[in-house]
Formats: sequence, C-alpha cells, structure tokens
Amino acid sequence: MKKLLLIGLFFSLVGISNAQIADKKLLPPIEAKTFAQFCQVLTDQYGIKVHYPQGFDAEFPIKLPTDSLNILDAFAIALDSTGYFASEWNKQLVVLPEAPLIEQLPDYTAAAIALVEEKDESKSLTASEEKYLTGRKPEAIQTLRIGKQGAQVSGSKAKILGRILDAETGEPVYFATIFVEETSTGAVSDVNGFLNLMLRPGKYNVVFDFLGYEKKKYLFEIYSDGEFVIRIKKTVYQMEEFVVHGDKQRSMKDKDPGLDKIAMRTIKELPMLMGERDILKVSGTLPGIVSVGEGSAGLNVRGGGADQNAFFINKIPVYNTSHMFGFFPAFNSDIIKDFSIYKGHIPAEYGGRLSSVFNIITRRGNRSRFTAHGGISPLSANIVAEGPLKKDRASFILSARSTYSDWILQRIEDPVIRSSAAGFSDYSGGLHYDNQSTQVGVFFYHSYDRFRLGDINDYNYSNDGISLSVGQTINKSLRAEFSLVGAQYTFKTTDKQEVSSAYEHAYQMNEYIFRADFKQVLSDKHAIDFGANFNLYQFNRGKVLAYGLASLRKDLDLGKESGFETALYISDSYDIMPRLHLTAGLRFATFSPTGPKKVYTYTPGFPLDPRFVEDSLFFNKNEVIKTFIEPDLRIALNYETDEKGSVKVAFNQMHQNMFMLNNTISVAPNTQWKLADYHLKPSSSNQVSVGIFRSLPLSGIEFSVEGYLKFTENFPEFRDGASFLESENVETVVLQGQQQAKGIELFVKRSNRRLEGWFSYTYSVSSVQIKDANPLNSINNGEVYPANFDIPHVVNMVINYHLNRRLTFSSIVTYQTGKPVTYPVSVYYVDGVPQFDYSKRNAYRIPDYFRVDLSMTVEGNLRRKKLLHSSLNISVYNVTGRQNPYAVYFNSESGRIKSFQYSVIGVPILTATWIFKLGNYASE
Amino acid sequence: MHQNRLILLSILMLPLFLASCIKAFDPQIKGSDSKKYVVMGRVSTADTMQTVNVSLSSPISRPQYEAVNGCTVTIMDDRSNKFPLYEVGNGDYIGKIDPSFMFPGASFMVEVIVPDGTRIISDYDQMQSCPNIDSVYFEIDEIEGNAISKTKGIQFYIDLEGSLSDSREYLFEAVETWEYHSDYPLEWYYDGTVHHVVPPDYSKMVCWRTEKIPEIFTLNTKNLSFNASQRIPLHFVNNLTSRLLYGYSLLVKQIALSEAGYTFWDQMRLNSTQDGSLYGKQPIAIRGNLQNTSSPDSEVLGFFGASSVSEKRIFVSNVIEVFAETYCSPSVLRKGLREITPRDYPAYLMGDAERYYNVLLNNECVDCTVLRGINIKPAFWPK
Repeated sequence: MKKLLLIGLFFSLVGISNAQIADKKLLPPIEAKTFAQFCQVLTDQYGIKVHYPQGFDAEFPIKLPTDSLNILDAFAIALDSTGYFASEWNKQLVVLPEAPLIEQLPDYTAAAIALVEEKDESKSLTASEEKYLTGRKPEAIQTLRIGKQGAQVSGSKAKILGRILDAETGEPVYFATIFVEETSTGAVSDVNGFLNLMLRPGKYNVVFDFLGYEKKKYLFEIYSDGEFVIRIKKTVYQMEEFVVHGDKQRSMKDKDPGLDKIAMRTIKELPMLMGERDILKVSGTLPGIVSVGEGSAGLNVRGGGADQNAFFINKIPVYNTSHMFGFFPAFNSDIIKDFSIYKGHIPAEYGGRLSSVFNIITRRGNRSRFTAHGGISPLSANIVAEGPLKKDRASFILSARSTYSDWILQRIEDPVIRSSAAGFSDYSGGLHYDNQSTQVGVFFYHSYDRFRLGDINDYNYSNDGISLSVGQTINKSLRAEFSLVGAQYTFKTTDKQEVSSAYEHAYQMNEYIFRADFKQVLSDKHAIDFGANFNLYQFNRGKVLAYGLASLRKDLDLGKESGFETALYISDSYDIMPRLHLTAGLRFATFSPTGPKKVYTYTPGFPLDPRFVEDSLFFNKNEVIKTFIEPDLRIALNYETDEKGSVKVAFNQMHQNMFMLNNTISVAPNTQWKLADYHLKPSSSNQVSVGIFRSLPLSGIEFSVEGYLKFTENFPEFRDGASFLESENVETVVLQGQQQAKGIELFVKRSNRRLEGWFSYTYSVSSVQIKDANPLNSINNGEVYPANFDIPHVVNMVINYHLNRRLTFSSIVTYQTGKPVTYPVSVYYVDGVPQFDYSKRNAYRIPDYFRVDLSMTVEGNLRRKKLLHSSLNISVYNVTGRQNPYAVYFNSESGRIKSFQYSVIGVPILTATWIFKLGNYASE
Repeated sequence: MHQNRLILLSILMLPLFLASCIKAFDPQIKGSDSKKYVVMGRVSTADTMQTVNVSLSSPISRPQYEAVNGCTVTIMDDRSNKFPLYEVGNGDYIGKIDPSFMFPGASFMVEVIVPDGTRIISDYDQMQSCPNIDSVYFEIDEIEGNAISKTKGIQFYIDLEGSLSDSREYLFEAVETWEYHSDYPLEWYYDGTVHHVVPPDYSKMVCWRTEKIPEIFTLNTKNLSFNASQRIPLHFVNNLTSRLLYGYSLLVKQIALSEAGYTFWDQMRLNSTQDGSLYGKQPIAIRGNLQNTSSPDSEVLGFFGASSVSEKRIFVSNVIEVFAETYCSPSVLRKGLREITPRDYPAYLMGDAERYYNVLLNNECVDCTVLRGINIKPAFWPK
C-alpha cells in the first residue's frame, strides 16, 4: 500500500515538473524586436532557458498579442513559417529545424503498427475527435484569396460574402463572429451561416470565433468582390487548456443589451428533474428571467406576465412550451442548435409580445455522415437520427420522444391513480437543402400530452407546426429569406368531477405566417435589415358542452374569432464612430380583428357588464371590426469603453395583440388565448435599458450589470371572480390599466475552466394600476399593487466542476422571494352574517422559495473505437427537501378557518438517466 | 383552486406524487390587519329606531363577533342637527330620528367615539328617493340539484317601477319567517320521578322563526331607459325543509342607495358570491365610507348610509309538496328509565292520556323553541 502511494506521489511529481513549461502561461502580451530579445525576456521573467542552433536567424520581430498563451504555443506562433520547432527538454526549450525533438525512441510493436493504420483513417475522424487526439497542436495560419487579381471593385471596397460551416457536420454556424484586426471591424453570421464584409483590397488578419468552436485565424488577400466558405471545428473541452481571448472579448462586446445565450453543453451537464433537460428551466437561472415554479409552465421576463413571451422553434410559434404541466420542456433538447433570448433590445423583425422573444433554432442534420443519439430516463426515452441525403447538399434530422409512464401508475395502490393514465410525446423533423446560393428547409413539429385522472378529469393538448423557408443570396451584399409557417395549438378538457356540472371543452387556435426578410450590407460600417410579415389568426374558443346524461350544464359556445397582423420593418445598423455602434429599427404593424362576430356595446360610463348591454353590432366574415396601428421604435446604442468592456443603452417599444385568459401566474393546459377585439385594446410597452459589460480575461470571468424601466399600457387584468367558461364576452371580465416594471440584473459568469458556472441576482419590481373614475372598474380602489408575478429578489447560482474528462459535478441553487397573494385577514359580522376582510390586492407574500439541486455525470470510457458511447447522469432535485409553498389556501372547518400551504415537490428526488450516442466520447 | 387541482393531478401521475404535500400554514397576518373597527349602520325611513353597530373584526383562525360597548355614537345631518344614540348592549346603539328630518336630499353621517378615545366618522351619505315596491311574487321552479332528483322549490322575484326622480341604485334585503311544529305535546317527563302533565302542554308545539336572508341583491338601472325592471330574482326556497310546510312569509326591503352605498353593497355581493373554495378567485378588499380620525392609517370596515326604504310582505302556504326533515328521533329505552342520567333531566317520554312508554323523546320532539324559533305568533301572521 505504501509502495503504491509512493508511486502515485512520484507520478504526480513528474506530472508537475512536466507541466512546468508546457502549462506556464505568458502574461501579459509580449512584443519583442527580435527573437533573441524574446528569449531573453523568457529567461528573465520565467526562468526558462532557450537553446537554438547557431545558424538560426534570430533577428525577426515577435508580436504575441494574446495573453495567457502557454509557452509552447507562444513559441509555435513565433516560429511559424520559419521551419523551426520548439521542444521541451529537461525544463528548457530547444529550437530545432524541421521537426520537434524526439523524446523517446519509437516502439516497434504491434500496437504501434495499429496506430499507424488508424492514422490512415484520420480523414474520417471528426474534427473534435482529431482535436481530442492531437491535443494542443498549434495551427498554421491559412491564407484565403478572395476575388480575382486585377478585377474591378464595384466601389472603393470589395463586397465579400462569407459562409461559416461546421467542419464536421457541414451545418451552418449561427452567430459566429468574424473580426478583422486591421480595421477593427467585424460581422456576425446569420442562421444560414452567412456574413457580409466590405474591405478595401489588401491583406487582413481575420479571426473567426464562436462559443464552442475553435478560434481560427486566417490571412485574407482581397482583390475584388468575392465569396469564401470557412469550416470551423468544434472544440472538445480540455481542462485548463482554453486560451482566453486576449485581444478582443467577442462574447461581451457583441452582446446586445438583453440578449442571452446558453451553450448546449452547459445545459447537458446541469442537474435534471426526472432525467429531463429543460432549457426553459435553465433560462430561468439567468438574470431577469424567473421560472414560475414547479408544476407550472411559464417564465416571467423582466417583470412581465407569462403570456408576454414569444417562443419560436424554427419560426413556428409554440403556445404551450411544456409537457406535464410544466415539468418537462415540449421539445427535445438534443435537436437544439441555438437558443437565444431577447429581453432588452428586441430586433425589429420580431413583434407581437411585450417582454421577450425565445428563439430556438434546431440543427439541420449532419451533412457528412449518419449518426444517432438518445437518452433513457425512468419516465421517457428519446432518440435523434440525422444524416446526409446527398453529401454536402441535403440533410435530414428526425427526433422522437415519448413517455412510458403508465406502468408507474399501475403500481400505485390508490384506485383513482391506478385507473389514471398520462403520457406525452413529441416528434420533429427537418429536411434541408443547401447549394451555397439557395437554402431550402422544411421543418415540422408536433407535441402531444394526454392526462386522465381516474374518472375525474381528462386533459389533452397538442402543438403542431410546419415551416418552409427559402433563403437566397441575391448578390454579394443582399440576402433574402422567405418563410411560410402554420401553427396550431389545441386542447380538450373533460371535467367529470361533479356529475351534475360535468362538461367538456375543446379549444383550437391556428396561426399562419408569411415572412420575407432581407439583409443588405451597404458598407463595412452600415447594414440594413428589412422585411414584412403577415400573420393570420383563427381561434375557435370552442363549445362548453354538458358531459354525460346526468350533467345539467347549459351548453355554451364561446365563439370564434379571427384577425390579421401586417408588419413592415426596417432596421439600420451603423458604426457612427470606431467605438460607437447604433442600431435603429422601426416596425410598423397593424392588427385588425375580423368577423364574423356579434359585438355587444355597453352604456358609456358603466362597467362592461351583461346588465349594461346597450346594443349589438354584427360583422360579416372577414369584415374588419377595428384596426389598431402599432408603430414600434427600437434603438440600441453600443459604446465600447475599451477592449474589454462596453456600455449599452436601448429603447424598445413593443405591442401585443393577444393574451392569455388566466387568473394565475402560470400557464395551465386549458388556458385560452384571446385576441384584442372591439373592446379589448392591444397592450403596448416602452422599455429603456442600460447595461455595462466587462470581461476579466485572466480569471475567465465576465460580468454585466443591467438596469431597465418598462411601462406597459392597456395591461389586462381580470375582474374579481372572473370565469372564462361562462361567457363568450370576455370584455365583461377584463379591465385594462398600467403596468410598470423596473429592475437591476447582475450576472457573473466563469466559463471554460475546471470550475465554471454563473451567478445571477435580479432585483425587480412589477406593479399594476387599474384605475377608473367608476370604482367598479378599478381594482384595489385604483391604487397601485404588486403584479401577480412581482418577485423582487431572485438569486441563482449554477456551478459545474469538472473533476476530469469523465466526471462532472453540477449544482443549482435558487432563491426567490415568495409570490404575492391576497389573504383574508379577518372576519367581521354584518347583520350576523360573517364577512371576510381581505387584505389589499397582493399585499402579502407566500414564503420564499429555496432549492438546491445536485448532479453527477459519468462519461463512459474514452476509447476511440467504439460503437456506442454512453453516459450516466445521477441527479438529486431539491436536496434539502424544503417544502417550498406553491400556493396557500384557506379552508373552513367547523366554523374555524384553517390555512394550508401546498408544496409541489417537498422531498429530495433522485433520478438516474442513461444517455447514449453512436460513436465515441467526442462524437456529435 | 382549479390551478391547484391541475398541479395535484400532475403530481399524482408522476412517482413524484409522494413528493407533494399539504401542511398547515400560519399566514403571519399583521396585527393591524386582524383587528379593525367595524361600524355598520343606516338611517332608514322604514325604522322607528335607527341602529348603529360597533364591533371589532377577529382573526380568521378564531372568527367571533366582538362587540365594542361603551362608545358615544351620534348621528348628524347636513343641517347641523345631532341625534345621540344610546347603548343597548352587544355593540348596538339605537336612537330615534323624527321622520321629518328624513327626506330625499338630506345627508347623514355618524360619529363614534370609542372608549379608548378613538374617533371614527363616516362620510355624509345622501338619502335617495325610493318608490314603493311594485310587486313581489314567486314561481314554482326546479333548480339544479343532483341528477336523480332535481330540487323543487319556489323562486321569489321583485319588480321595480320607479320614477326618474327616484334612485337608480338599490339594495334588496329579504327577511323570511316560517311556522313550524314540534311532533308531540309535553305530556310525560322524568326527572327522577315520572310526571304526567294534564292537560298536555301544547304551548311549545307551534313556533315561528325569522331569519335574514344572507344573500345580497343589488340593482342598478342607470343603463336602462326607464327606472324600472321586472323579474329581479331574489332567493330560492326549496321543499326539503319545513319552511313551506305550514306557512311562509317573506318581507322584502327595497333600499334606495347613494352611489357610494351601491358600490359598497355591490362589492359585498361580488365577494359573497364566490363559489368554490374561499381562495379560488381574487377577492376585493372592500372599503366603505368610514375613517379613523385619531389614527388615519387604521382602516375602519363597514358602511354608514342613509336610505329611504319601502317594504312589502308576501305570504305563501300550500303551494308545493314538501319533504321536510324532522329533528325528532325517539329512542326506545330497553332497560327502562334507568338509562336516563340526571344530566338529561327533564327527559321527555312518549305516552298517551293513560300511560307513558319506555321511549325517550329528544327535546326537538316537544319543544319547538329549541330550533331557534319563538312560540309567540308574530303580529303580521294571518289568523
């Protein structure tokens, strides 16, 4: 045993000494007039001797702009194109011509021969495999020639259309950035991987960069207008090996005010509830975004309601984003390529919601080879298959997920539960064709939930959508994309709890969208986005029908409604000064509810109440009932204070033409959506936000502080005691007023280290005022009160610790102030009849929410040749077993009123999930 | 509540069902919220004595009526007339106001000085003109019950016929009185020895009980072209109680309200018509027209109003078959009178003119006053 320990100690010592040079970092950046001087600096500052042959010409200048390079890499850059290589030898460095120093004699055994054979296969290696196998080999800088020598340049600058593709799968890379060092300008790739540059003919050093991909440098030789395609490689996580961007902090600098992105890798490592990854729950740990709670779908963004967020998956709007009442996301996380959240400056191409846009872009399928991956948890299984249909031209991706939870229910002794059934499934798939100038994509999406509790309730709901988009490069500086989208959300509820009032209700909403989006690059400092969209809405609020022979319920048709939205937008992105960037957008939309419809009018000055109906108006099919004009101004100003930080200011106007009929703060599966109509006005909001962003490259930390102020007009609130199944005239239960939200968001993030994660703190206040001269049209006597989703303090901490390549520990810690509630505070008697005295609206709060989750992910072995790689994730949800109250309610028991709190998950929950994929550890 | 049930359902379906839990919870109500002064009162043309009631609200965990006695209560009108009220106990203060002071357009307020010196005043409330009740009537109806047997009963309605000078906002109150009988006269009882009452005592066999209908009915005619409305539904009496068995009377009060009064009562109506659980829907924190001038931040509950009132009484008998429940359940004394403990004295026994039987009659069998009625026929009851 002692011997073993000694050996272990020895090896670790060897490791340390070996690591001394290779892992030593250069800080700060070095500039030396000659190579000899550079070596002197190393000797003086780092105690490293450098030996080079006598014939070596050491009189060339060295410029290493990047700090935090390790020394071997620094030498590789310094010696690039000299034909000399630096090697480590006996804690010193040796510079030798032609090849690195051979430290060991080759071992001529069978194993070595096998290795040679495998090297022959290296063409079929994936990029990340290659990287994983080759380690930290510095890469040579390639030169790209663009345009033809002697060809005309249309203006003083050449127009260049570039495209960035994933080297391994051939898929376009979205949101990759390019940075031209000489001009300090850059560009960001779009959904199809395209980007535009305008540069004078000449030579430029260009850096490509994207989270999760290798940073790559090129030398561009530009002669005239032209195109280029670059394939960048995914990085494999390598401990302490990540070289922090010393020159430019792209991620921080390019951050729009209020744009958040989460890398899919991060999501994959976080603790899971019942083995399901939930990007929406993860987004709830970001500043300014609050998850409504367990067992309820919905997020509150910057003090807005759950219905103020738009969710798109490949342009298909998704109205119910969760399975099982919010426990699981309604899409398979494995197909997501990019997930962006806009909550501050929302680009002019988006409209229709007040608070945020959640934009999901799925992967398009591997264009070079077939692959599959999936996962199995106690509750569900999922699989994704993808591959080329025609190599480098067309690809497909299919995803399926389904539950098999019924068996669990069968094992429960309670007869009600045993006779229950529950399940969900979702399917999606896409076909993509891409010949560089034209991209055609078809994507479909379907999710379905069924739930039956004994003979008490049935719920079924489903989302469906299909999108067709065609992207076309018109010329080097103009691109167009046209899309056609159809989406449907339906639910059906049967309530059998009370035989005499049992009912069934089916609801359906359809949305059809046509969009045309253009991007025109005018100069290297100036680009314009413009386009138009047309949305048609057709809602059938459905019939509430008596269920069963014994039901006495009166049948009621809640009616149909339809409307259309048209919008034109233009957005100008302009570099006013080298460090000052302006984006100014205008979105001009109209919304028109249309017939057929019977509209009641009410006596002016009175509540919109059936008792005060004055007249009724009839509108024919497609007749416009009213037209709302909705101009939105979106301005964002970005000032780079220095290389590592920026200040951003944004002003954002939004309109919303539909809202949820919901008294609670979460999204229930039987929540109806309602369009603005003759009586109900669209809501509008103005938001001002200011943000400071900064990165500290040495520690790998980025931080930001953002503040916002948001005013909403015509915010809908529901009258006391509103029911949405009893009347087709929704205006009788809705009051509209002002909502105001303000907040400060603090975010600290450390990435690409052994210990990484983020910390976010949000302070936000959201208040509502519904005031009218008539007290019956006011809420809370017209006084300001906290919104149902006013949650002032939210703290989230997400920590990942990579013990080694195969073992990762993660944790999430969440704290939230309790939600506001209205309590009955006392009892008094009027003529002997007890009456409750209620507190002011939302004057009290339920107890605070606190939760800790832990998880451990164990990856399978790292052998390169294997059919299947798998990993095991073990998660504990709510480790402390805290009984977080979801709701508080009161019950009268023999004349005494008792209060109860209801906790959804009040004990720790342990889950194990097995995840597999074809290929090895590094395969995608 | 609906949402809660959804959550519960979703929890049940998962193995997580073990995880959810419901436990008692102390909502930590602020002290200032759970004890508030409550002043209810009305200057009413229908009453000879005006009543103001002063009480304290009680915590929801221990609801009880808490009278505030020893107050100085004065009603004042807008012509500087003062009408002091005197205490009659249980938080009630009464006083007389000559009808000549009560006319449409006159405004009244109340001042209450609580023993600790706290002064509570109301806003002035203006008396409106109230037309006579046009008619009160009923219809036999069936309402939703369980599917097998719908519940029959009678539905009362009121018609309003007002002039343009009358109030457009009304509160309707209904007070029901019904006659009911006990099953046996008092003839035999046992208190250690057996007594035979001759002749049998019939005095507690017929009682009348009067209750105010707790439902609140309001009407607003401001949106109507005429100050009139028909078939305004009042309450429903089913045929499963003894109410409709021997005779039933309903007194309907039509109370003309000011705008503030209507707002208060309509909010009371909305809060009281919440169905389902107490916490199902967003309730209203109703604030009337009273202020605590000694400590303006302390809220005072209730309302003081001035109303002209018109009344109408309707009698109903033998209109519908009644399936009345009875509270009399005789029990056989198998071991004879020994079974009766002194605690139960006097114990009533079944018997006839000759002898008693070993059958114990509970109090409800012989004494109708036990069921909160009185055995004195009301003056308005028909012969």
